[in-house]
Amino acid sequence: MIATQAGAAERKPSPVERLSICGLTKVFGGNRALDAVDFEVASGEIHGLLGQNGSGKSTLIKILSGFYAPDAGSISIDGHPIPLPMPMGRHEAMGLAFVHQNLGLYPDGTVLENLIAGDHGRLNSWRIDWRQEAARARALFATFKLDLKPNDLVETLSPVLRAQLAIVRAADRIQHGNDTGSAILVLDEPTPFLPMDDVQALFSMMRQLAATGVSIIFVSHDIDEIIDVTDRATVLRDGKTIGSFDTASMSRPQIVEMIVGHALKTDRTAGDTVKTDVNANVVTSSVCGRLIQNLSFEVKPGEILGLTGLIGSGYDEVPYLLNGSTTARTGSLVVRGNTFDLGTVTPARSMKAGVVLIPADRQITGIVPELTLLENVSLPVLGNHERPGYINHKKLRDNADRLLKHFKVKAEGPDQQAGDLSGGNQQKIVLAKWLQLNPVLVLLDEPTQGIDVGARAEIYDFLNTLCAGGASVICATSEFEQLEAIAHRVLVFDRGQVTVELKDGDVTKSNIAKACYLKATTTNAQN
Amino acid sequence: MHRIDIKYEAERFGLVFVWIALILLFGVMRPETFLTWSNFSTIFGSEAVLVIVTLGLIIPLTAGDFDLSIAQNLTLASMVTAILNARLGVPIIATIPLVLLIGMGIGVVNGAITLYFRVHSLIVTLGIGTFLHGITLWISNSQTISGVSSSLIKYVIVTRILGIPIEFYYAIILCAVIWYVFSYTAYGQHLLFTGRGKEVARLTGVNVGAVRMGAFIASGFMGAVAGILYTGTTGSANPSSGTFLLLPAFAAAFLGATCIKPGRFNPWGSVIAVYFLVTGINGLSVLGFRTFVQDLFYGGALVVAVMVSQLISGRKERSI
Repeated sequence: MIATQAGAAERKPSPVERLSICGLTKVFGGNRALDAVDFEVASGEIHGLLGQNGSGKSTLIKILSGFYAPDAGSISIDGHPIPLPMPMGRHEAMGLAFVHQNLGLYPDGTVLENLIAGDHGRLNSWRIDWRQEAARARALFATFKLDLKPNDLVETLSPVLRAQLAIVRAADRIQHGNDTGSAILVLDEPTPFLPMDDVQALFSMMRQLAATGVSIIFVSHDIDEIIDVTDRATVLRDGKTIGSFDTASMSRPQIVEMIVGHALKTDRTAGDTVKTDVNANVVTSSVCGRLIQNLSFEVKPGEILGLTGLIGSGYDEVPYLLNGSTTARTGSLVVRGNTFDLGTVTPARSMKAGVVLIPADRQITGIVPELTLLENVSLPVLGNHERPGYINHKKLRDNADRLLKHFKVKAEGPDQQAGDLSGGNQQKIVLAKWLQLNPVLVLLDEPTQGIDVGARAEIYDFLNTLCAGGASVICATSEFEQLEAIAHRVLVFDRGQVTVELKDGDVTKSNIAKACYLKATTTNAQN
Repeated sequence: MHRIDIKYEAERFGLVFVWIALILLFGVMRPETFLTWSNFSTIFGSEAVLVIVTLGLIIPLTAGDFDLSIAQNLTLASMVTAILNARLGVPIIATIPLVLLIGMGIGVVNGAITLYFRVHSLIVTLGIGTFLHGITLWISNSQTISGVSSSLIKYVIVTRILGIPIEFYYAIILCAVIWYVFSYTAYGQHLLFTGRGKEVARLTGVNVGAVRMGAFIASGFMGAVAGILYTGTTGSANPSSGTFLLLPAFAAAFLGATCIKPGRFNPWGSVIAVYFLVTGINGLSVLGFRTFVQDLFYGGALVVAVMVSQLISGRKERSI
């Protein structure tokens, strides 16, 4: 085993592993999210956990935190078997602590309030000695050389300081909050929104913790980070352990190969609808958003353009920037000759120019679940009648009947509440609501999230029909398989910029995955 | 095209049946005093003001906002009407539009603070309401002011159709207008989507801010109408007239949302709810109960109404 230099002296070779997971299995309705997973972490080790979306990483972590009960398998800490399912809320006493991407900090509170929140084991509930707690916090921050003051408000902290506060809090709990002496810290993607320098600050903190004997499980999509900070790493794919290895012994392409595997070919449904010989339907130039930097591209009539990347790469911001639901810092969009300044455009104006957005969060931004199907699909067409402002109920009802039929929505009728439908049928309602406007550009964000295979295929059909009619589609998604099925062209993003463009036959699941994981430097070979 | 769904129809008219049952109950107990046309025409006429306040409330409520200032808006409008007309001699025909403008101006202030500073309307209108009451006490020197033009009284309460004072018909006309706007105009649907799914509305190109502002202005207008009618009903303005109308109006708005169009604030349901509540109180006072029944009845009705509407919607967590 390879140890970090800092930790080598203190670390005793342990006869048993700090954390040992054996044959862990979890089945969701016939689908094996985890299939006999083995996984071991030594004490004082930083252990990377890698895998694509759906590989089983989050299921594994949710079993460790007690959120799911496993169907088979065992977990032991320092050789002591842990009762399964893990008792909820008791993981700290067993020496396990979690820092998730959502750090679980209360932004209006001070650093000190956040630090001691929920530390029931140590605090006297009837009298908190604030002065003593502040002194303790200062000592803790000094140990890790953190620029945190107990009375700072969390909302004024930089992102990296917030992450460090969350980590120091978790580490403090398991080092002082349990008497077993075991300490395992699970960091579940704490880095994707941090700049490179800040990531290094986080890493030095992790190394310092590991040197004191804390074991760290570090979940990340970023292979460079895994190579940089971890001693060993484990790769999951399709719910199985593909392998564990000393990080130093592996090259980046080898690790990517383990993550991606040899994917089965997906049936492409993308039709031959792209009109290459005519002017582009849509041209964007110099779009800047929160993460997106200086993005420019064109989309031809009949083309489905896929946007993807790893978490934090910013691709999922693009659809919202292009219709004005998020205001861009700069940028313009030309749709069939109409030019829009993306710094000022509103959804109402882009709608009139034939740009529609189908958002990812169906229940909050797509439909209103407590209103009827009729009301939901009618909202964008209320004004389309002879008398301004007056609603022709008969016409709207006929229109809704027609849409339900055309989009194959399984519902009792237009008066049913939208919230009563299944996810797939709700998404068809959202499609019906927007596609009835005969749009020029359709912006999609995760269009098939939580939707069954049958409805998925139907949605792909609608998109193809739309393209055959000369519309353009931009689809942001984290599902590489979906892009292989429907996209004519894919832009892969990293840190707000396009790093790779894949076309036609090159649009395969494994090419996309490789482009995402290997990033700009090594992906030139693909083109 | 529509199937008749017995359960749904029973839910829609449930409150109407309870109302009729209440009338029969009191009628059997006190046939000689309760069950008379003069008693009912008094109820219909005198509570028109409460109906209009309730109708005013349901407009912002549909858009997801509260207007707690509406009752003090009424008090101020009533007082300004009396002062302008009785003290300063402004003709009533000029006074009315002026007062309506003041009411709408109060709506603009409520809307502007709520929307620009992004403060919850509950807090904004609570403060503005109390502020308005302060103005009322100030300009009236805490006195009741009487001596308003008899033509106002004539066109509010003296003129009767079928024995019911004409102000009742004003309330019904306003109800019909709101019903039309809610059901047959794009603005009505925009109000509904703004209240139930702001993000959906915004992404569908609805100008959510303008819709909410419009709702505040409408409730300000309704508050002023109610104030003018209040002055016309009593022939004077007293500085605490609206104070006891806020809770009954809320009770009626929420109770009204359990009938006619269950789950939605709706104008006809509101009218029925108002008359259900005042029938109960009138009947209890005819039976000899004293004034405390008002608070018991209105307070209880509000809580029961929100419990019932939560049962209708399957007890989902709500922000307010």
